[in-house]
Amino acid sequence: MVLLKVEGLKVEVEKKQIVNGVSFSLERGENLVILGPNASGKSSLANAIAGLPQYKIKEGRIIFNGIDVTYFSPEKRVKLGIVLAFQHPPAIRGVKFSSLLEKISKKRVNYFGFDYLKDRELNVGFSGGEKKISELLQVLSLSPKLAILDEIDSGLDMKMVERIGEIVRENLTEKNVATILITHRGDILKTVKPDKVAVMLEGRIVCVSKNWKKILEVVKKYGYEKCKECRECELLSS
Amino acid sequence: MRSVKSVENVNYYQVDNEVRRIFSLEGVEVLSIVDAWEKYDWVREYFEKKPIGGYFVWVKKQIDAPISTCVGIASKKIDQNLCNLLVVEKNIKVKGSVFCFAFRKNLNSKHSVKGKILLKENSSIDYAHFHAFGFSDSVFMDYEFFLEKGSKLEYIYKNMGAPVFLERKMNFLIGENASVTNKSIIVGTKSNVKIFDSAFLNGRNSSVIMKLRLVGREKSTFDSSTQIFGKEESKGHLDCQGLIVDSFSKISLTPKLVVENKKSILTHEASIGRINEEQLNYLRARGLSEKEAINLIVNGFISID
Repeated sequence: MVLLKVEGLKVEVEKKQIVNGVSFSLERGENLVILGPNASGKSSLANAIAGLPQYKIKEGRIIFNGIDVTYFSPEKRVKLGIVLAFQHPPAIRGVKFSSLLEKISKKRVNYFGFDYLKDRELNVGFSGGEKKISELLQVLSLSPKLAILDEIDSGLDMKMVERIGEIVRENLTEKNVATILITHRGDILKTVKPDKVAVMLEGRIVCVSKNWKKILEVVKKYGYEKCKECRECELLSS
Repeated sequence: MRSVKSVENVNYYQVDNEVRRIFSLEGVEVLSIVDAWEKYDWVREYFEKKPIGGYFVWVKKQIDAPISTCVGIASKKIDQNLCNLLVVEKNIKVKGSVFCFAFRKNLNSKHSVKGKILLKENSSIDYAHFHAFGFSDSVFMDYEFFLEKGSKLEYIYKNMGAPVFLERKMNFLIGENASVTNKSIIVGTKSNVKIFDSAFLNGRNSSVIMKLRLVGREKSTFDSSTQIFGKEESKGHLDCQGLIVDSFSKISLTPKLVVENKKSILTHEASIGRINEEQLNYLRARGLSEKEAINLIVNGFISID
């Protein structure tokens, strides 16, 4: 059953078109990884699906659970179950991490062993890894139907990537929560094991495949540009 | 009107211009200022003319209970003119709180106070001052804190919804080895707020830290002038920060440092910012409404130490 359907989405940021007509769909509990180089439009797509106001949808639709949410506010989308982990979360002085989590959470907050973050001010002086953990804990606290994890693995050492991958797998993918995981490196895929992988280039999805290992192999060998013409992964998945 | 029962613990309780309750503990004398004026000649040194209302609290012995005073406005167009005097004797350490409020938001009344707080040698007080008036009220505060040798004042003033007009004047006169820490939080909603705070470091090794957190909401205007005078070997720091929530509010901060002794070290920091769109959208992406997100950011801002 389709949970999310994105149809011909075009998105502008500061009057510059970043997403140039993206279409894809996601089943309930399905896990999609979007790969692509920097500035390929991955984060803009993620932010537009989450409804952030500075990402202006110029064309296309976003259908979630049968509802057209294209012009819904971010908070309304969260209530429907769409939750985004930010790539660059802002720091907010004076707001304790635990007080935000307790305010937004529908259930008892699980800190997954990162209890020491509780009394810290939100994202103030957080290391790269702490920011990623903070984002993930916030997403989990909101019990999403669709979790969009934007670069949840960037800037982390391998051990941390594995830990985050485990938390994602055990608490989202294995619990039938649909995920869109955005990354420009493939390490986390080994832990998360997605259902399908899409490659995004210049604001478009140029390849979708179930064979994530093959895509990683092609990208590693030839770079993302190869995905524009190479149809090997698609052939394998079909 | 709320019953007196709900404020059982106060030592002094006044509604409009009527004294409703006075409760003294052993070692603390609590009177109306009118009675104190008659009883003690020295009280007259602190006020230019005979007061018509307000309280007198004289802490003569060490006590465990906090000193509480409570002044409310319950009627429309009331004119409260208060003269308050709090004296803490030598070597005594106390906690105190003042709560001034209006029972309703639309009473269109005036609360005017001349307050004198005298801390004698080596005494100290943790003093919390809360204001909760209606939008249509006007408030005039004129406070003087006299700190004798070795005394210590920790003073926090909170006004989470300033009325249509608030004028605050505070002078801290700080003696040898005495110290003041003052944090004031004022949130304006359609308010016009004027602040004139001054600290005079008159004694050797005296110190002061003055923190101001101002939040402009709903077309509020703040005009704040805060100054420290270093007259002796001393230390002082001013920390003034403003946060503007809407497009129509205005905050003006004027910190001033005057060094009159080469061994006086005075510093200041001041900043005014707007609600950050990025923070707002981030919290909305956590399911909070715009209003909830703003409140969280504001509460965070005012809690910054």
